[in-house]
Amino acid sequence: MTGLLELSWRLLRGAGRHGMLGTVLTAAAVTVSTALLLFTIAGNVAFLARADREAWRHPVEATSGAVAIQAVAEDFVEDEVITVVTVAPLPGAERSGVHPPGLSRMPRPGEVWLSPALAELVRELPPERLANRFPGTVAGEIGDEALVHPEELVAVVGRAPDDPAVTREPLYVSPTVIGPTRVADFTGRHGEMLLGYRILTVIASVLMVVPLLVFGGAAARLTVARRDQRLAALRLVGATPGQVVLMTVAEAVIVAAGAAVLGLVLYVASMPLVARIELAGGPWFLSDLWPGLLPVAGVLLAVPLLVGVSAVVGLRRVVISPLGVAKRETPPGMRAIRLVALLAALIAVPIASRNTSWAVVTGVLALAFLALNLAGPWVVSVIGRITARVARGPAALLAGRRLVDDPRSAWRTIAGVALTGFIAGFTGLLTPSGGMLGSPSATDLIVLTPADQVRTVADEARARLARAGIEAQVHAREPRTDGRPRPVGPLRGRVVVELPETADTAQVDTARTALAGLVPGHVPTTPADEQRAAFLLFADLRTGTLIVLSASFLVAIVSAGITASSSVLDRRQTYALLHLAGTPLEVLDRARRIETLVPLAVMGGGSLLAGMFCALPFVFATLSAGGAAILLVTIAVGFGGVIAADALSRPLLRSVTRNPAPRPD
Amino acid sequence: MPAARFPPVGRSAARGGSARVSGMSATADTNDPVLTGRGLVKRFGTTVALAGVDVAIGRTEAVAVMGPSGSGKSTLLHCLAGIMRPDSGEVHLLGQRIDTMGERARSELRRTRFGFVFQFGQLLPELPADENVALPLMLGGVPRAQAVQEARRWFAPLGLDGLTARRPGELSGGQAQRVAIARALAIRPAVIFADEPTGALDQATGHETMRLLVEATKHNGASLVVVTHDPQVAAWCDRILEMRDGKIVGTRYGTAAPGGDPATEAPARGWA
Repeated sequence: MTGLLELSWRLLRGAGRHGMLGTVLTAAAVTVSTALLLFTIAGNVAFLARADREAWRHPVEATSGAVAIQAVAEDFVEDEVITVVTVAPLPGAERSGVHPPGLSRMPRPGEVWLSPALAELVRELPPERLANRFPGTVAGEIGDEALVHPEELVAVVGRAPDDPAVTREPLYVSPTVIGPTRVADFTGRHGEMLLGYRILTVIASVLMVVPLLVFGGAAARLTVARRDQRLAALRLVGATPGQVVLMTVAEAVIVAAGAAVLGLVLYVASMPLVARIELAGGPWFLSDLWPGLLPVAGVLLAVPLLVGVSAVVGLRRVVISPLGVAKRETPPGMRAIRLVALLAALIAVPIASRNTSWAVVTGVLALAFLALNLAGPWVVSVIGRITARVARGPAALLAGRRLVDDPRSAWRTIAGVALTGFIAGFTGLLTPSGGMLGSPSATDLIVLTPADQVRTVADEARARLARAGIEAQVHAREPRTDGRPRPVGPLRGRVVVELPETADTAQVDTARTALAGLVPGHVPTTPADEQRAAFLLFADLRTGTLIVLSASFLVAIVSAGITASSSVLDRRQTYALLHLAGTPLEVLDRARRIETLVPLAVMGGGSLLAGMFCALPFVFATLSAGGAAILLVTIAVGFGGVIAADALSRPLLRSVTRNPAPRPD
Repeated sequence: MPAARFPPVGRSAARGGSARVSGMSATADTNDPVLTGRGLVKRFGTTVALAGVDVAIGRTEAVAVMGPSGSGKSTLLHCLAGIMRPDSGEVHLLGQRIDTMGERARSELRRTRFGFVFQFGQLLPELPADENVALPLMLGGVPRAQAVQEARRWFAPLGLDGLTARRPGELSGGQAQRVAIARALAIRPAVIFADEPTGALDQATGHETMRLLVEATKHNGASLVVVTHDPQVAAWCDRILEMRDGKIVGTRYGTAAPGGDPATEAPARGWA
């Protein structure tokens, strides 16, 4: 056993220039796959870590033993959100030792704790723009363990338990604006927004992992296909089929294990770059992007294992005969059942999407994706049959026959782009445009007030704005009493502060600061502020789509390049002999191009449509300009990338045909 | 195997349809050699593969080149076939110098005037046998249907009846070599080059393949250059050149059936 492994290792090292190139291609594929796989896992873990750190801002009502009253509101500066957490410690709170995370102790009334990014902003901006909103003593900085991301703006304001900010019934609540709540600790619970992001991450993972698996498997099979001649030679010297299988698998696994470690290194090296991607409001802590020791160990074990299994599957197709070359017989026709599987999945998607369970929808989506991968080779073989039948010239004939001969291999070349087409079709329809939300005013500040205080608050607002030298019109809006249904909660009116439409962010911020604390526990907001979460979500959906598409394209194009090169290597003897017999290189090249581009056009387009079909149940609106742009870019980059990757293998074709005395290996 | 009936000379689609190397005459004096190499020298680094070889191949002549490994026989074949350019010396086909031609012209020459039979691996595994034979015709511009029809005419004389739709993987070694011979002959070449054509076959099949190769080549008015290390294979040829250290060190004339007396057991030439 050890001897066999040693021999495998030596064969691997002494594989010659072309053999080594093949090994390097396989290793590159596995490296990229591993890095992207780690990235996908990290994405899921990272949102969970964020949700954990943010949980304390979603207070849970204490049934007994309350130590503080906590309220959460959103304020705004420079078009960024400031999360303001008001904490009013109850008597005996300090002795209990309970305090919010990120703080060294319970905040005292009149104290303010700021996140590092907010503290810096307070120092940078004039006091009337920001600092005056937090009139207390700055007692310290909030630690990273209480922040969603490093640039998050958070303030913890200490108040007395009888302060109106924590005693009055809230006039408005939302997932991010929470009224005074008596808490026994600051454990809290996971917020809904971040959980929503986690679900989106799971969908993104499904979309990314399937092409990765196809890619990794293809890479492993390449190793096997290229070795068939040498394995036949090993059989000649008396190696048993079992030993040959073991050696091949060992070779594939050795390469994959090394490449998986390289993939880990690549991922760790790219973590600082990945951390800069802004999602859900900001960039990432590096620690968020580390998937954890156990998942990393799992990936490092699973990747070589998967490659080993793929190698065994690949070997099954290569009939190793002691007399020499692997036999090439007419392959059994692809079964149409593959197409039936895809159709079944496409029918299942709209039905399953009536079910509101995300798990079911994600599962069905994954199935549709896998079904597409299953149907791919069948469609390719049909395309090959048609191409061969209608071919007039030798290139098209050769391409068509090759597609029929090995539709799986042809599918592997284009699978990445076709599956990316599916993703683009799916996400293209799901990418809403910001325009859907209209263009809400960013200069009208609205202060919610109890119904009986509208006029008093309006007068106070006028006085404060005048003192601050801000030009504005202040309107008091009494609560409507026209019998129409009114919002849940206490009866409330509004004070609307109309700043000139030309007012810039600095002027709006100054007005916000002037109006701070006008109604205890409430901050003035513009209609644009209220839509901010939706804008953020839309922007994040676009970012997420771009990440998934970029990763898929990377896989697709590397995959196309590797498959094209290995296809040249696999056929190098035939190519060289055909060249010797005077076959022009252009004909061989054209055949390779037709072999890739015809199925790419059919499958890429088909996948795009299938993806759009699967997205239909979730569509917010008609195809947006952003979505259309994504689709167009997908088509352009996909085709361009595959053509370019294919072109890169042309020098290899030239090199293998230049050899005047081709030998099997 | 009964005497084979090959497609008649001069009715090939290739003749009418394929592109020809310009200025190449196909009707030189019948006494002139078809292919000549004069003073051929070829070095690979410090190794001298050909050390001044002179050779002439006559019309319908079958010439075997023999010698131990490294004697330069494959290099000689490559130089004569325009695959490789000699460092010095000249190669002429039907009176025209070909070793000075550019890569593209030599490539076209190989496709239109030469046929090749290698040890194995020359057939495209994806194509059925008839399309493998038709491929060079299609490369020469013959329409597909006509090329396939033309290709199929070679199957019966070469004992390949009923195998037109088989793919190379479904053929025996001998059958695959006969398909390769058909492919080489289909373009009606001036010379067929065969590099160890029986190297991957058992003895009986090898001899049968050689017999067909020699007979079919001669019947089609082509010449044959065979590189082999097997004396019994070489014995099928009219002339045997013995090579050593890049030089021709001996020539034998007369052909014979393998294992027999060359003077008395010439292979049957039962052409109709």
